[in-house]
Amino acid sequence: MSYKIAVVGDQETVTGFALAGATYVHIHATREETLAKLSEFFASGEIGLVLITHRIAEELGLDFRWMSRAKRLLPLVLRIPDKTGYVPKVDELREIIRRTVGAGIMVRKEGS
Amino acid sequence: MTIALAVSPTRMELLKLRQRVGLAQKGHDLLKEKMDALVIEFFEVLRRIQEARTKALEQLSVAHRALSMCFAVVGTLETRQVSREARRELQMEISTHHIMGIAVPAVEVGEVERNVLARGYSIHTTSSVLDGASREFERALKLLIELSELNASAFALARELEKTKRRVNALEYILIPRLREALKFIMMRLDEMERENFIRLKRIKAMLEKRE
Repeated sequence: MSYKIAVVGDQETVTGFALAGATYVHIHATREETLAKLSEFFASGEIGLVLITHRIAEELGLDFRWMSRAKRLLPLVLRIPDKTGYVPKVDELREIIRRTVGAGIMVRKEGS
Repeated sequence: MTIALAVSPTRMELLKLRQRVGLAQKGHDLLKEKMDALVIEFFEVLRRIQEARTKALEQLSVAHRALSMCFAVVGTLETRQVSREARRELQMEISTHHIMGIAVPAVEVGEVERNVLARGYSIHTTSSVLDGASREFERALKLLIELSELNASAFALARELEKTKRRVNALEYILIPRLREALKFIMMRLDEMERENFIRLKRIKAMLEKRE
């Protein structure tokens, strides 16, 4: 199956990815609008990947987390830093490792 | 502290319980093996994520820098306008494959980077800086798509790992100890009954002898 790409972000991110060929874009303005748009993206069957900036994901908070947990395997959701390179301090993946393995784990290259 | 199951102390029950313990033990061993395999798989994916992520994020910041440059040279409004005009039909192929029974997405994407003519905006009205920004973003997008695949696999694996861990712990720390407790209770009870019976017989024999 072939799928399209959606981007939710600020003006700059959206412009950039639109130039690169992302089909659906949404510029974040208000919480309600963005949430509605996101549920539309999740419900439509033709979107394979939703990119969302960390800043917005954080602003949406719990609602977004619930949505991404409730969805099926597709669309994939990936959080990306915006133009300021903003990445939250609590890394989501690290949090999951802590929960499943029971300890924080550093992945290091061998020999270092 | 384990709470014994409510069982009646009979030989039949004892046999049944023995079977259940055996089954639970077997299940526990299997699940534990599954968990070990999952952990190995999980760490492999994590290692790949780490690599992919540093690459993708670097490329993304390069892309943002190029875009800022483009905003400065071409103008913000013009760039936005062009981004609306651009052809935006990037397709990605997603299929699912299974790692130990867990559905994991496999993403395939063709060449994301396009040639200037394929981008869909007119070339002679736009600057080459804009092309540069587009190109950087296309590269970033390709890396991000790869990263998203790994990310989703890691999440699916982690979820399954958590579930498996729960099951293993439930068997190891709840079910099996309870069954063993019940087993012990029945064995003790049966022994006790045997002793009681023995004493009773002795008493009866003594009474019979006295009567004679």
